[in-house]
Amino acid sequence: MSRAAEGGLILAAAILAAMGVAIVEFTRGSWLDAQVAVTLISFVVSFGSIHLAVRRWAPNASSLLLPTTAFLAALGFVEIYRLDGHLAAIQRWSFVIAAAGAVGVLWLLRNTGVGVLRRYRYVLLAAGVFFLMLPLLPESWPIHGAVVNGSRLWVRVEIPGVVRALSFQPGEIAKVLITVFLASYLAERSEAMSTVDRTIGRFKVPEPRHLGPVVIAAGLAFVVLIYQKDLGASLLLFGLFIGMLYIATGRSFYVFTGGAIATLAGVAAYNSFAHVQRRIDAWLDPFGQFADAGYQSVQALFALGSGSLTGSGIGLGRPDLIPAAETDFIFAAVAEEMGLAGSLAVIAGFALLVAAGFGIAIRSRDLFRKLLAGGLTIVIALQAIIILAGVLRMMPITGITLPFMSYGGSSLLANAVIIALLLRVSDEEHA
Amino acid sequence: MPALFFNIIKLLYLAMLFLFLWQVARAIRSHIGSNPGTRSDGFAAEVVVLTGGGNPERIRLRPQGHVFGRSDEADIPIDDPYASEFHVRVGLQDDKVIVHDLGSTNGTYINGRRVTNPTTVVRGDTVQVGKTILEVR
Repeated sequence: MSRAAEGGLILAAAILAAMGVAIVEFTRGSWLDAQVAVTLISFVVSFGSIHLAVRRWAPNASSLLLPTTAFLAALGFVEIYRLDGHLAAIQRWSFVIAAAGAVGVLWLLRNTGVGVLRRYRYVLLAAGVFFLMLPLLPESWPIHGAVVNGSRLWVRVEIPGVVRALSFQPGEIAKVLITVFLASYLAERSEAMSTVDRTIGRFKVPEPRHLGPVVIAAGLAFVVLIYQKDLGASLLLFGLFIGMLYIATGRSFYVFTGGAIATLAGVAAYNSFAHVQRRIDAWLDPFGQFADAGYQSVQALFALGSGSLTGSGIGLGRPDLIPAAETDFIFAAVAEEMGLAGSLAVIAGFALLVAAGFGIAIRSRDLFRKLLAGGLTIVIALQAIIILAGVLRMMPITGITLPFMSYGGSSLLANAVIIALLLRVSDEEHA
Repeated sequence: MPALFFNIIKLLYLAMLFLFLWQVARAIRSHIGSNPGTRSDGFAAEVVVLTGGGNPERIRLRPQGHVFGRSDEADIPIDDPYASEFHVRVGLQDDKVIVHDLGSTNGTYINGRRVTNPTTVVRGDTVQVGKTILEVR
């Protein structure tokens, strides 16, 4: 696809967003208003500026990523607008800020390429762990952690004289930094880790000291689980570690041990933490706890069911009944108002995005870039799988955002940076 | 009436969503179609032409291969008096890079050994054509 076609599809996605907003306005009995124009402008400005940055600083980059991203963002935005116009207004600014972040990454790496990131890997790791731990700051400080819905993920910055505190989720950026670190670390160690030393039965088992990273991975994921009570993030981190180890070594051993450790950790967590137990019980029998822990899951199931094949139509359903419909459960809102057809479009969008990402990893020219592109794609894919499976009740619900679709600035910024890095890796394919 | 109107709008909107995805999927397909030969290890097969002077030239192998030679008619003309007009064909077969000497005067050398039959090369091998080195990446 040429750059011009990419630009055309970005414009088409912006028009889809604006049309969705227009349909919501129709169903409320009003005629086209400024919201439609502002939505069109904010999409064109944010995705258009990334497009221009790619033209200037990464001209050989894959042209499949941006249109797909814009498409998912448009579908998510229409539902956010439908649910809460005030949040949609904030989300439009988040698009612009996230795009600025992506453009900034492309600009920073314009001469050096992603290779320069290898040099700063321990700085990036330190920053990543710092961001991950930031929400643990005591409440009395001007910059402090905050508990929202039982999870300690948020950081609030109190600015004197301003009533509304600035808040963000540092964990979102941390996962990008940790991916970059892992790519650079594993690129150097992979040879040692994939050498065969002994076999147990059918499995080739690496030397015990090479298991160090797996144990550290499990440990970090468990710390996040215990201190921040964030199931989704710990699952994401652990899956990311195991996935990248697998890409680096090609050893199914890591996947099986990882799976076994995750299962054991899951059983242990179920037995020792009340909040994990609550989630799993609500997953197994949501209708039994309709008024309590199962409420959200049940409302999502009602939304999926009443959406049927083509949905109620945008603006004509009741997705507002689902708790957290604009963030974690945005997929349920899409499924209710656009039906199975709309939900399949979302899943197809993610599938195309992930396929494009792994394609970049396959074609990249060295192991570091392969791991970087593969790892970043895994982050997007795992987030989508974890929350989609949660909404569809194939898995217990673990609060995590749906990339590009959920309401939330931190998530949008982090995922935009991921796209920028993927664009940059694909640009360096044949250097 | 409004119900019918909203139904039509709804279906049109869904149709547009899939039209969009179709466009992206089609782009991926054409991307795959025009993709030069890619080996099963995921690295695109590339040949780097290292001439005495000048900058190295990178060529991504296409499935039907390229003929290297001194002639301007060759797929990849090489400016080398020791190369024959149509010296060697480098092509792809079942994910493998095959070097086929086309009866050249001065011969084709893979890693320093002269070859006359079609020979498989792997990444890192060098193919000498006259005084020009082709490196497989």
